[in-house]
Amino acid sequence: MERADRVSQPQSDAQGPAPAASPATARRWGRVFPEPLGVGMAAVLLAGLIGAGAVAQRTLTQQGRLAQQTEGQAVTRVFAAALGHLVEHDDAAAATGFQQLCGYEPRLRAAEWLRPDGSVRCRWPEAAGGAAPAAGPAPGGGQAQFSAPVPKAGGGAAGTLRLTFHFGQPPLPGAALLRDCAVVGLVALLGFLALYRLLRRHLRPLDAIQRNLHSYASGLEREFVALSLSDSLGHIAQCWNHMIDQVQRLREQGVASPAPDPAGDALRRFESRMLLSLLDRLPLGLLRFGADQRVTYANAVAGRLLGRSAQELVGLPLSEVLDEDVRAPLVGAYSRATAAMSIDRKRGPEEQQTTLRFGLIPAPPSCPDCEALVTIEDVSHLQEADRARDNFLYHVTHELRTPLTNIQAYAETLTGPGFDDEQTRRECYNVIISETRRLSRLVEDILNVSQLEVGTARIEVGEVDLVRLLRQIVQDHLGAADEKQIDLTLKLAPKVPKIQGDKQRLSVLITNLVGNALKYTPNGGRVAVTLEVHERSLEIAVADNGIGIAPEDQPHVFEKFYRAASPEVQAIKGTGLGLAIAREVARLHGGDIRLESTPGQGSKFTVELPLPAGGG
Amino acid sequence: MSRILVVEDDPHILRVISLWLTRQGHQVCEARNGLAARELVQQQMPDILITDINMPGMDGLKLLEQLRNENRTPRGLVVLTNRWDHREIGESLANWGVHVVPKPFSPSKLAELIRQLDEQQCVKTSDGTGAGEVKTCEL
Repeated sequence: MERADRVSQPQSDAQGPAPAASPATARRWGRVFPEPLGVGMAAVLLAGLIGAGAVAQRTLTQQGRLAQQTEGQAVTRVFAAALGHLVEHDDAAAATGFQQLCGYEPRLRAAEWLRPDGSVRCRWPEAAGGAAPAAGPAPGGGQAQFSAPVPKAGGGAAGTLRLTFHFGQPPLPGAALLRDCAVVGLVALLGFLALYRLLRRHLRPLDAIQRNLHSYASGLEREFVALSLSDSLGHIAQCWNHMIDQVQRLREQGVASPAPDPAGDALRRFESRMLLSLLDRLPLGLLRFGADQRVTYANAVAGRLLGRSAQELVGLPLSEVLDEDVRAPLVGAYSRATAAMSIDRKRGPEEQQTTLRFGLIPAPPSCPDCEALVTIEDVSHLQEADRARDNFLYHVTHELRTPLTNIQAYAETLTGPGFDDEQTRRECYNVIISETRRLSRLVEDILNVSQLEVGTARIEVGEVDLVRLLRQIVQDHLGAADEKQIDLTLKLAPKVPKIQGDKQRLSVLITNLVGNALKYTPNGGRVAVTLEVHERSLEIAVADNGIGIAPEDQPHVFEKFYRAASPEVQAIKGTGLGLAIAREVARLHGGDIRLESTPGQGSKFTVELPLPAGGG
Repeated sequence: MSRILVVEDDPHILRVISLWLTRQGHQVCEARNGLAARELVQQQMPDILITDINMPGMDGLKLLEQLRNENRTPRGLVVLTNRWDHREIGESLANWGVHVVPKPFSPSKLAELIRQLDEQQCVKTSDGTGAGEVKTCEL
């Protein structure tokens, strides 16, 4: 405000730009126009005046010659008419009259009166003889000849009059004309000089601004110079002074760099570029906007997430960049200068839906007018993780509730009135026991699969005799196989090396595969367990001729809690954890598991475990 | 006494519900999934329907929706569920007059709920025949 008051008081132009201007600056201000330009303009003006004078002189000379010619022609006609009158009144006296007439015209040099047949009737001067002078006005002055018929009363001609004149040079434009031209030229020159001086005075502020900016940018001067208020450029001066007020205020806030430091500036520019480059590589979109709600900066990620280039975003109003349901709360928070906030919004079609999280980092409380930052983050992966966690919990609670329900319901039945018969009581005990076991297995499986997945499972590595392990597992399942009349067989390679691994977990792996095979194979089927030794690996295969797995289910059977939706599968109890655990155990031993299956014909699960080099 | 259709894929739960309701003198019909239940309803409209939600084939919510669309809704509706969002399910089904019973449940309390429904709606078997029996309807 202080500076604005000063500006509003007009100062004399003659005082120069401002008291603050240094002598060097004042000298520089005197050169609004380069002097050669002024001299050149004056020369052009002078040359124009001279040229105009020359053209005027030439035109006047030509007009003089034309007037001489017209005059000679007129005199010849008048003489011919006078001779006609003389011939009419007194033919004899006509010759004398001819001589007298010719004597009256001082510019006449020769005259001839020719008869109609061409012979000379009279000549003046009488002594002159010989050839007539050349016809027409001589170039550059001299003699000119004109002819006219001598009229005769009653029609016809009494001959032809031929006069030869001598005209001098046409009169040149006089000294008056030259004087007039000189006066006009002088006045024009003075007028030009006055205008030139006026222009110089009025354009001084522009020159000052230009040079001041240049000096400031080069680090030569630290302070801008305030301008005086002239009539024509007062508004510009006012704007300039307002601007340097702002710069001063920023300096006081410590925002502007106080010291001119070219090396430091270069470093800062480098750092600025580095910073912008880093911002572009952040996995976070950034938009900066000010009080006018226009984007002043956008990094590359913001452009990608919003489907435009970062350059396109800059300058756009927020209403064109963000959906209204995002923009309004963000701008509301900005205007209230509240703490950081975030909004999640889904985008895109259902199958490719992404979730963007928009956040606001408001301007610091110390600078309420400063620009705020909008952060944009693709949180689709977080939502995916949330969904996976929810899905896991959903399945866990679902699986736990079923045995719990049975235990609670049958226990209550056992203690309830009216269920005293022995058969019901035995049924209740059996269900409670089996469901308790089921619950226990389930909890163990859930813990196992979770620990294996996140890598926190405790592994007890030791030497494992797979032949012995397989024989034991098959032996344990013979009873279940017999119940369904399933032919459970074991085929072992002749020489099987022992491997390093977790015996307990490998046992769970093979038990799950054999148990599944027996569960999903109808009565009277076959389940074959084989162990083959290859050069670098061992393969344990469990093949059955059971219900098989549909092609669309095959990619998912190793996922936690996945169970095929077919009624045949759903009719059989299961949690969908056995195969997930099997795969994790196989991978824990550096191997993997694969499935080949044809619906209605059976399935074959093959576990491949690597052998140490030279171990085969 | 009422004709009650129980739809549940777990055989033990199905069995214990039948035990309690039969002891109360109801005629109980059993189905293992929604598809089977729908066919049974088409054959004979039960007075009360008790159904699980998560079942193979057709789930309980789908079954209720289809019965409603076909205007074959029994007068008493009870939904059993082991889903953790059972409160939201209850709120969404409140307008249909559906009672949602979360698992694990007490069979005595379920039996009490059925008794109240039976009394409120005055749903009685016309001749008493079949009361106290479990009618297993395998489809």
